[in-house]
Amino acid sequence: MRVVAVLSEMLTPYGLGTDACWDNIFIGKTAISRLNRFDTSSFQSDYAGTIDGLKYHQKDSLVMQMLAALFEKSSPIPSDADLLVATTKGEIDLLEEMVLQNRKETFNNSQATFLEKVALLAGVNTNGTLISAACSSSAVAIARAAAMIRSGRSDCVLVVACDSVTEFVYSGFSSLMALEKISAMPFDKNRSGLSLGEAAAFVLLMSEERAEKEKLASLGEVLGWGLSDDANHMTGPSRQSEGLILAIGKALCSARIIEKDVGFISAHGTGTVYNDSMEIRAFSSVFRDRRPIYSIKGGIGHTMGAAGLIEMIIAMKVIKEGAVPPTVNLREADPEAGGWVSAEHRLIRKNSVALMTNAGFGGINSAIVLA
Amino acid sequence: MIAISGLAWINKEEYMCVRNNMLVSYKDFTSFDGLSRTGIFSCTFKNFGRLDEVSKLVCYAVALALRDAGEAYDSNLKKDMGLISTNADGSLLADIAYFRDYVDSGRKLSRGNLFLYTLPTSPLGEAAIHFGLQGPVFYMTSGQASLLPVVRTAAELLMLGETRLVLAGINTEDEAAYFVFVKDPAPGQQVLCDISEALPALEKGGGLRDMAEEFMMIRKGKV
Repeated sequence: MRVVAVLSEMLTPYGLGTDACWDNIFIGKTAISRLNRFDTSSFQSDYAGTIDGLKYHQKDSLVMQMLAALFEKSSPIPSDADLLVATTKGEIDLLEEMVLQNRKETFNNSQATFLEKVALLAGVNTNGTLISAACSSSAVAIARAAAMIRSGRSDCVLVVACDSVTEFVYSGFSSLMALEKISAMPFDKNRSGLSLGEAAAFVLLMSEERAEKEKLASLGEVLGWGLSDDANHMTGPSRQSEGLILAIGKALCSARIIEKDVGFISAHGTGTVYNDSMEIRAFSSVFRDRRPIYSIKGGIGHTMGAAGLIEMIIAMKVIKEGAVPPTVNLREADPEAGGWVSAEHRLIRKNSVALMTNAGFGGINSAIVLA
Repeated sequence: MIAISGLAWINKEEYMCVRNNMLVSYKDFTSFDGLSRTGIFSCTFKNFGRLDEVSKLVCYAVALALRDAGEAYDSNLKKDMGLISTNADGSLLADIAYFRDYVDSGRKLSRGNLFLYTLPTSPLGEAAIHFGLQGPVFYMTSGQASLLPVVRTAAELLMLGETRLVLAGINTEDEAAYFVFVKDPAPGQQVLCDISEALPALEKGGGLRDMAEEFMMIRKGKV
């Protein structure tokens, strides 16, 4: 059973729409800027990729404001679509308010309430399922949605992803000394950390049969996927890269392709020393020849649970446009990444298949193959 | 055929290994933390005391489920086994503990060791490291404390060949239950029951201990 994407949309620090994100990344422009949502004076950084116009700690959570904007102008979603929602912290700003105001009420069933609100906004008749797998959350959700369709359990799944820049996550990443001072520089020789970002996106996946029946054009196909864990460390990636190598191997096998079929790679590319190094080692191990790799996190920051879905939509755009974007903020490539990454856009060969990788705390790895 | 090869349940006083028909009231001889020193883990669990309470509970439940299924493990001999979980509230208690601590300290410094557990997959990450689990690891919830979605997903992971074995479970702050799922058990391999036999017990709802006892009855019906 083939799995195709028929509709997608995104809201990123560049604004609403895939084109807004694509156009800015393609010219190498970053949306990471000084953060004024909360006091950052004691943190490692005061920069992030945030979306203009969101109201913090006022009525609706940041992610619900993002999702409302996302679905407001989108084409209708089939009401019988199954729903998967990927996030790491969802409406965590509501909990922040409760703690800051020293309110004692319980915060039970927050996930159920959140799912109900997302289903209502999207117009689907299901309460859906929330998927959380650290910063691989949306890649895991894409894999599960594709699995539901491939196994015949569903013929239409809406994957929604969102995460926001809050004091909760910002203070946490700062405490782990994971933040770049100004703006993340994935795969750069002088990189020293990630920049947090926020985003929301959705992709509607269908079986090819249903898409044809409804006369919906395919934006791209999920050919295969592979999920794995490093089983090594809670916050750091495996230095041997064996977890990501395992995930890529599974994804190629699931897609029934071989390594030479992969024309380009959308990397997780957070900008931390260890993540980027781990990824390059994995790619060098799996692929005989260098091929274009890029990361969009120098542009919009690391959007955590939303990262994989934004990156999937951009990868489908790369296939359509026939060129990979530059890695934003890349000045001097790390020697081990040389020849893989570039500060310039590059053309890809026709009929290129994309590999997209993500990784997260707990050693969680994901690899998705797109065509 | 997808079968359940092991099932364990644990709370702060007792544990149960269903296939092996074992119920242990450990409160009679040790504490919740002391359980880690009673041979529940087949190899030393490095820095177990550093884990938060939910992670300890999940790691105990996983150790017992693997023992019930007869699956040996070693942190240094990693295997392609998945680990998925569910509950109603994600990492809510850890979230509150982290942010309250940060606010109480004047919103200047936060503790990385508390932030570490503010993901619903954090207990799974700890378990993956100790038990050497390199398969798919993720958390899913419909917002209810129901095992059905993770059981369906475990079956799907195995049917599509995404991994060799799957541990799937549920936890609250006080108790946890984990199943070991296997596809096409080897000839002679003892299993608790087929997944189709398990669904009625899972659909009943109710407490986790009651569910484990229901599976005890299924087991007894087979003996």
